[in-house]
Amino acid sequence: MVPGSLTESTQALLDPPPREDPFIRLDRIRVSYALKGGERKIVLDGIDLEIHAGEFISVIGQTGCGKSTLLRLVLGSETPTEGRVLVEGREVVRPDRDRGYVPQKYSLFPDKTVVDNITFGLEVEEFNLLTCFTPRYYTRRHEFRAEAMRQLAKMGLHETDATKYPDQLSGGMQQRVAIAQALVMKPKILLMDEAFSALDPGTRAGMQKLIREVWKETGTTVLFVTHNIAEAVRLATRVIVLAKNPAADGSRVALDLSTAEPDISARIEQVTGHIRSDAS
Amino acid sequence: MCAIGKVYAHPPTLPGSSELYYGQLSAHVARWCFEASGPGRRTVVPILMRQVRSKTKVYRSIAFAAGVLALLVAAAPLSADKPTFTVGWSVYVGWNPYYFMNKSGIMKKWADKYGIAIKVQRFDYAPSLDAFVAKNIEACAMTNMEALDMPAAAGVDTTAIIVGDYSNGNDAVLTRNGVKLKDLPGKKLLLVEKTVSQYLFERGMALNGLESQIKQVRLVNTSDSDIAAAFISDTSHQAVVTWKPLVSQISKQPGITNIFNSSQIPGEILDLTVVRTDVLNRADGSGQKFAKALAGAWYETMALMSGKGPGTDKVLTTIAEGSQDSLESYKEQLSTTHLMYTPKDALELTTSPEMKQKMTLVKQFCFNHALLGENTKSIDDVAIRYPDGGVQGKADRVRLRFETAYMQMAAQGKL
Amino acid sequence: MSLLNICAKPSRAATWTLSWLLFATGIVMYFYTAQKRHKENPDDRVVPTLSQLASGIYQAAMSQDGDDQPSADAQGQSAFERFRHGMLWTDTVASSRRFFYGLALLFPAVLLGLHMGIFPYFGIFFLRFILFFDKIIALSVLPILFIAFGIDELSKVMLIVIGVTPTIILDTFNLTKGVPPEQLVKGFTLGASDFDVAYRVVLKQIWPRVLNSIRLNLKPLMLFLFAGEMIASTDGLAYRIALLRRHMGMNIIIPYVLWVALLLFLVDLAMRLLNKKLHPWFREA
Repeated sequence: MVPGSLTESTQALLDPPPREDPFIRLDRIRVSYALKGGERKIVLDGIDLEIHAGEFISVIGQTGCGKSTLLRLVLGSETPTEGRVLVEGREVVRPDRDRGYVPQKYSLFPDKTVVDNITFGLEVEEFNLLTCFTPRYYTRRHEFRAEAMRQLAKMGLHETDATKYPDQLSGGMQQRVAIAQALVMKPKILLMDEAFSALDPGTRAGMQKLIREVWKETGTTVLFVTHNIAEAVRLATRVIVLAKNPAADGSRVALDLSTAEPDISARIEQVTGHIRSDAS
Repeated sequence: MCAIGKVYAHPPTLPGSSELYYGQLSAHVARWCFEASGPGRRTVVPILMRQVRSKTKVYRSIAFAAGVLALLVAAAPLSADKPTFTVGWSVYVGWNPYYFMNKSGIMKKWADKYGIAIKVQRFDYAPSLDAFVAKNIEACAMTNMEALDMPAAAGVDTTAIIVGDYSNGNDAVLTRNGVKLKDLPGKKLLLVEKTVSQYLFERGMALNGLESQIKQVRLVNTSDSDIAAAFISDTSHQAVVTWKPLVSQISKQPGITNIFNSSQIPGEILDLTVVRTDVLNRADGSGQKFAKALAGAWYETMALMSGKGPGTDKVLTTIAEGSQDSLESYKEQLSTTHLMYTPKDALELTTSPEMKQKMTLVKQFCFNHALLGENTKSIDDVAIRYPDGGVQGKADRVRLRFETAYMQMAAQGKL
Repeated sequence: MSLLNICAKPSRAATWTLSWLLFATGIVMYFYTAQKRHKENPDDRVVPTLSQLASGIYQAAMSQDGDDQPSADAQGQSAFERFRHGMLWTDTVASSRRFFYGLALLFPAVLLGLHMGIFPYFGIFFLRFILFFDKIIALSVLPILFIAFGIDELSKVMLIVIGVTPTIILDTFNLTKGVPPEQLVKGFTLGASDFDVAYRVVLKQIWPRVLNSIRLNLKPLMLFLFAGEMIASTDGLAYRIALLRRHMGMNIIIPYVLWVALLLFLVDLAMRLLNKKLHPWFREA
C-alpha cells in the first residue's frame, strides 16, 4: 500500500456521487403491431419518460390512446417494438415482484379465499410445490396469515371477510384486497391500471383516499392509469397526458406537469378536449 | 323512392299474418311488385296485400303438389297384387349364388313363373339371422347350427328346404410355431365364440381324445371382421379358428399350420336355405310357390355352376363379384366346399342315417352351451323333424324341420 | 296453460308427473309388446317378459360363465359368494379395471393440455399434431393398433386413450387459454416462477372445469371400452353382451345395459360431488 494514498472504498466516499439514473426510464419507445395487409398500427409513437423513485404518477388520456400499453411496458407484460424500458438501470423483460400490479378486473385469484390471495405471494416465495408438504410450511403459514390480516386491517377490511371468496365481495372490497395483495410483497413500483374505474363514485372516493395514504406510508412509486382527470389531479404528484398525434397514428406525451402547477385541469382539458366529468 | 324503402325496411305490423314478416326480407321483391304494378295503383296497403296473396298462392300450390305426391306414394302399394317374399343372404361361398340369381334375373324368372315377387336382400350374417327371427324376411341362408340356435330356439318354427352344401375344409383351426391340438390346453384361442368355429374346435378336440381338456383352453372372443388382422399382427397368440377366406389370408403368413378342419367332420356343418314354416303353410299356397321358386332358381344356378368351360367361368366370376372376390379365390373356396350341385346329391345326404347322428352332435353342442335358450331344461325341448317323419326330441316341440319335398320336385323336374 | 310459455312456473305435481311420464310410457309400451309377442310365440326371446327378465337378472348375478355347468360346491355357497363369482360381478370387475386405467391416463393428458396452453413452445410443438390426431377415428385403424399393442388388456386401454385423450387435451388447452392474462401477470408480480404460475395459479383455477369436461367424456370412454371388448376379449360387460347376441339372450342383455347405465350414472354423480367438495368456490353447473 502506497503511503498517503487512500483505499478504493474511502476514495469512493470522498468522490462526488455519480449522476443517478432515473428510477424508471422509457427510452425512445415505439409500440406498433402488424395488421392484416402488411400495415402496422402504431400505438405509441416516440415516448421518452423519466420517473423518479417515490413519485405518484397519473397517466391520463382518452380511450385507446395507449395508456394501458404504457403501463404494461413498465410492468413487463408487453415489449416495445423500438426502444427500451429501464427500471433501476436494468431492462425490463417480464413481470416480476419488483413491480406490483392492480388491474381493473380479474385482480384476485377466484379459487382462493381473501387471506389465501394475500399470502399467495409470500408462500410462493418461500415454498415450491414440493416443499409445501413440510411441517415448516405450516408454521410459516401462520406467520403469513398474521401478516395478511394486518394488511387487511390496514385496507379497512373486516376479519370476517378473510375467509370469503372473491366473488362474494363487492367491487370496492375486491380492489382493496387486490391492493393489499400487491403491497404485501413490498414492491418498488405499484402499477394500477384503471383500478377504480369499475367502482361507484362513493366507493371510488374512499379508494382514492386509501391509495393516497398507502403511498404516503410506504413511499412506493405509483403509476396510476385513469381516464378521469379529476381523480388524476387529486391523487398524483405528476400528471402525464397522452394524446393521439393528429398528423401521425400513435400517441405521444402531450403534457407532463407536476400537479403543483396552477390551472392544471384546464390545461389538461385543453389538450385532451375532454368534457370535465362531474362525478368525483 | 326513399319513402318506399322505409316502408319495406321494417316489417309492417298488420296483425294476424306472419307472412308479412317476410316483407323485411323481400324488400326487393316488394319494390319490384310496386314498380310493376303501374302508375294507377300506388298505395301501400294493396301492395302488401298483393305480396301476401302471392306468398299464399305459392304456399298453397306447394301444399297441393305435396298432397298429390303423398297420395301417389301411398296408393302405389295398393296397386301391388303379387305376394312379396324376401330371401336374405350373407357373403359366404355357399350362399353367394344368391347374388348371381338376383343379378342374372333367374330369380325373377322363377318368381314370375309362380306369380309372386321375390326380393333378394344381402345382409351381414348376424343381422340376417336377426331379421329372420324378427320375421322381417321369409327365408334366409344359414348353417344348421344357427338354424337350431336362433329361430328354432326362439320359438320360430323353421323349415330347411334346400341343403346346399357342407363345409369340407372351409372352417379350420390354424396355429403357429407348430402348436398341436394337444398343446392347446392352457393357451389362448382366438375365435368367434358360440359359432361353428367353436363347434369345430370342440369336435377336433373330441376326435383326438382331448375332450376333457376343452375347458382348459382359454377362448378369446374375437369379432370375425378383425380376427385375421388380430391373429396376424399379435404373434403372442398361437391359435385361431375361423373360416375362409380369412383362413386363406392367415395361411399366407409364414409358419402357419392347418391342424384341423371341417373336411375331417364332413356333413356336420351344413349350409341351408330355410323358410319360416308359417310362411310355407299359408292358406293361399303362396308360401309353397315361394319355396318352389327358390328351389327352381337354386338348382338352375347349380347346374350352371357345375359345368366345365368358359360359360361356367363367367357364371362363377359373377358369383365371385358378390363378395368382391377374384375368380381364382372363389374357386379356391369352392374346392373346400362340398356343394350339392344336383338335387339328387342333396336328397341322398338329407335322407341318410348319418344325417340324424350328425344333427345330434350339433344339437348336443348347442345344448351344452345354453344356445338353445337358458330356460331349455332338456335337450328335447327343441325338436327336429326329419323327412322320414322321425322326430328327435319331444314331438309337440318340433321347431326345425328338414323338408325334402322341394328338392324332390327339383330332382323330378316338376318345378 | 301454454307449453311454449317461457315464463311458466310448473307446479311440483306437474314437475313430478311430467318428468316420469316418458319412463312410464316406455315401460308400458315395452311390456305390452312383450305380451303380444309371447301370445303368438311363447318361446320368444327378442322381447322378454317380466318373468324372463327377472330370471335373466338372477342368472346374470348368480350364475357363473354361461357355459359352465353349476359346480357341486356352488350349492354350499352363500348368496353373497355366488354373486361374487357370478357373471355380472366378474364382468363388472374386468370392465371397471379397464375403465379406471383409461380414466387415470386422462390426467397426464390434462397436464399436457395445460402446458400447451401456457408455455408457447409446448403449444407450437404439440397443437397442430394433436388437432390432426383428434380427427383420426381410432376404430378405423385397428390393425395398426393390434400390431402396436396386441389384443390383450393394453390394447383395450390404449384404444380408450387414443379415442378420448385428444378431446381432453384440446379442451384443457382451451380452458387454459381462457384464463384472463391479468391473472398470469398477477402471479408473476407476486414472485411466482413459470412453474408456479402454471400449477398454482392456472391449474387450480381450471381444475373444476377440467373435471366437468372429463365427466362429459365418460360416455365416449365407455363406448371405446365396449368397442375394444366386443372386438377381442375374454371377459367384460361388452364381451358378455356380444356373446349373448349370438343366441338372442335379450333377457340378460337388457339387465346388463341398465346395469351399465346405473354404473355410469354413479361414476358421474361421484365426480360431480367430488368437484363440489373440492371446489366450493366454483359457481357454474
